[in-house]
Amino acid sequence: MSKFLKALVIGTALASLPAAAVAGDPAAGEKVFKKCAACHAVGDGAKHKVGPELNDVLGRTAGTAEVYKYSKAMISAGEDGLVWDEATLTAYLTKPRDVVKGTKMAFAGLRKEQDLDNVIAYLATFSADTPAAEEEQSSAEPAEPETKVQTAEASATAKPTPELREGGTFHLGRKATEDEVAAWDIDVRPDGTGLPEGSGTVADGEVLFTDNCAVCHGDFGEGVGRWPVLAGGQDTLRNARPEKTIGSYWPYLSTVYDYVRRSMPYGNARSLSDDDVYALTAYLLYLNDIVEDEDFELSKDNFTEIRLPNEANFIPDDRMEEPHYAQKAEPCMSDCKPDGVTITMRARILDVTPGSVDDDDASGVGGVD
Amino acid sequence: MAESKTPPPSNLSRRSLLKAGLAAGAVAGSAGAARAGGDPLITEIQDWNRYLGDGVQARPYGVPSEFESHVVRRDVEWLTASTESSVNFTPLHELDGIITPNGLCFERHHGGVAEINPAEHRLMINGLVDTPLVFTMEDLKRFPRENRIYFLECAANSGMEWRGSQLNGCQYTHGMVHCVMYTGVPLKLILEEAGIKTSAKWVMPEGADASAMTRSIPLEKALDDCLVAFKMNGEALRPEQGYPLRLVVPGWEGNMWVKWLRRIEVGDEPWHQREETSKYTDLLESGKARRFTWVMDPKSVITSPSPQAPISHGKGPLVISGVAWSGNGRISRVDVSTDGGQNWKTARLDGPSLPKAMHRFYLDIGWDGSDLLLQSRAMDENGYFQPTKNELRAARGENSIYHNNSIQTWYVKADGTVENVEVS
Repeated sequence: MSKFLKALVIGTALASLPAAAVAGDPAAGEKVFKKCAACHAVGDGAKHKVGPELNDVLGRTAGTAEVYKYSKAMISAGEDGLVWDEATLTAYLTKPRDVVKGTKMAFAGLRKEQDLDNVIAYLATFSADTPAAEEEQSSAEPAEPETKVQTAEASATAKPTPELREGGTFHLGRKATEDEVAAWDIDVRPDGTGLPEGSGTVADGEVLFTDNCAVCHGDFGEGVGRWPVLAGGQDTLRNARPEKTIGSYWPYLSTVYDYVRRSMPYGNARSLSDDDVYALTAYLLYLNDIVEDEDFELSKDNFTEIRLPNEANFIPDDRMEEPHYAQKAEPCMSDCKPDGVTITMRARILDVTPGSVDDDDASGVGGVD
Repeated sequence: MAESKTPPPSNLSRRSLLKAGLAAGAVAGSAGAARAGGDPLITEIQDWNRYLGDGVQARPYGVPSEFESHVVRRDVEWLTASTESSVNFTPLHELDGIITPNGLCFERHHGGVAEINPAEHRLMINGLVDTPLVFTMEDLKRFPRENRIYFLECAANSGMEWRGSQLNGCQYTHGMVHCVMYTGVPLKLILEEAGIKTSAKWVMPEGADASAMTRSIPLEKALDDCLVAFKMNGEALRPEQGYPLRLVVPGWEGNMWVKWLRRIEVGDEPWHQREETSKYTDLLESGKARRFTWVMDPKSVITSPSPQAPISHGKGPLVISGVAWSGNGRISRVDVSTDGGQNWKTARLDGPSLPKAMHRFYLDIGWDGSDLLLQSRAMDENGYFQPTKNELRAARGENSIYHNNSIQTWYVKADGTVENVEVS
């Protein structure tokens, strides 16, 4: 536990403030919470996302929301007595990694004191000790029967198609409607096939990016922690540690549009409008110095005019031409190494295996994608 | 009366005593050693021999013995930013034969595990087809189906080992692979049901999860051996393996086996999706990157002994065991070296030998207690051999991440412990 955290735990234990004594404006806090919502849910039916759900967070001992898989650091902070209240949350949300070293929360921290007060006041409305929370609970109840009806409807329509259709060999399935195809077929190809109508500017994209993306990808696409870096890295592909970003590596802009539209923001997919996605794509071009004008507007019409710098550097699979495959030679079976065999590298030197003695802070190199 | 059926309170302490005894036996390295009066496990009547065990239905869905609780998938926390877009690893060192139990098949998700009621699941076929179609799960189960055993390997398996040996355990170095029997409908039948237009050349499967995973697959492969599967090892797919429906793309990288499969689009060009441009492309030393590197090359690893499965028995008979697989077809041969690649012996393949499935090999030796540098080298039926790490690095550099099928070395020490190393 950091010294700072120790002081915090002792300090708040002495002060023993009631959990409900919070100063900010919950309504303003709801807006601030948008920065958190990519990873945290709060309110009726909130589930863990990338981060734990935040109902009853005020008064909760750190690292104790059920089922959620915390960092070891957060669990031990809770064991050392860290309980979330206004004071501890204020400190934590100002600089998370300074307060709980090793937290997996990637968020860099809130800079404005007013934002801190307001977001904590907002969270307090979902914590049990406050009157607001009771209101939330009672108003939430009527939602339940609705859910049940939905399930019943779904299973009614799930029966096999009653009559075999004409055509095909087995006459199975039914014709998809145009609306159904439109709802799911949102993919975009490099030649622009699949792009929807719409447009968005760099400036619009910057606002959207700050609200929805910067929490993981950083304000300038530099990436927070192990979250993907989106910008920079030009001319690093031959380095020992290449940085593969949209600007330095990705071959086609259509991939950016397609991927953001289908999967982002992480944990809240399909929540952006087509215009939003144009704006974010424009901003990502700006962050990568591919467009330089903040007033640049990306649209369906000019989309395919933009080419990414690394497009030409992708080649087909030629593994089978590598010498060890191409020769298809019968390999050596005896006395294969005239110079003898020596050990040149050992995993133990860099002990990053889970469960090994010193793996707590150890990070290896490389990754799975 | 009921009381007499309940084991006496001494049960617990007796059991822990027995466990301690077993552990001591293991240390002595001679499980058959008789003590003066004989082995108490034989000369004394054991609890399980006297008292009744659980009746039927105590475990309506059976689970492994409590003594196997360490046999689980494990992850490497520093690898990824969040568990929802991450990977865990099959405990290869604890398994034998060629089939991976469903609960131990490694997981790789890009947006967490989608939980889908099969009654609410749909599969759409659209694009360059005569009639875009929607199927329910019930519809799909009315097509003729097939059973096939295939390995599935993540393209990034061994991806952390490019720059050198790093992780101590074949679970971590090679555990992004599993092999199960799939039951499903040939994709060809489903595509033909919609009518494939003559201009079609590619298909793109799409998942229903929060990542809406997509990959481009050549039509030729789709019509060859791909399956739309709903069962693994005889039971429904596990949620983490795509329940209720996944694509099976035999021999090709795991990322293409789209889970929670909800749509297949037919087209005339590849889509260049995120997972086939920014990811799953293989950066070479030249700065160029290979794309569409689909086939998983011949590969093998010794699973025992290995760092998590040290030798506990001392000198004498030793079973060296491992697995081999190739996306090109059957494994025709596996050679094993105990001296770091200086000399090789051909191992014995045992169990079914099926194309694009895992193969089990054994080399039974008498261990003299000296240090070993264990390696295995697989060859597939097309004559392709597994390369050394140095050969792969010479051809590609160290930044490819994917498709590391090089020869693994385990350093077995006189005390039986094993370490992941590289040799000259």
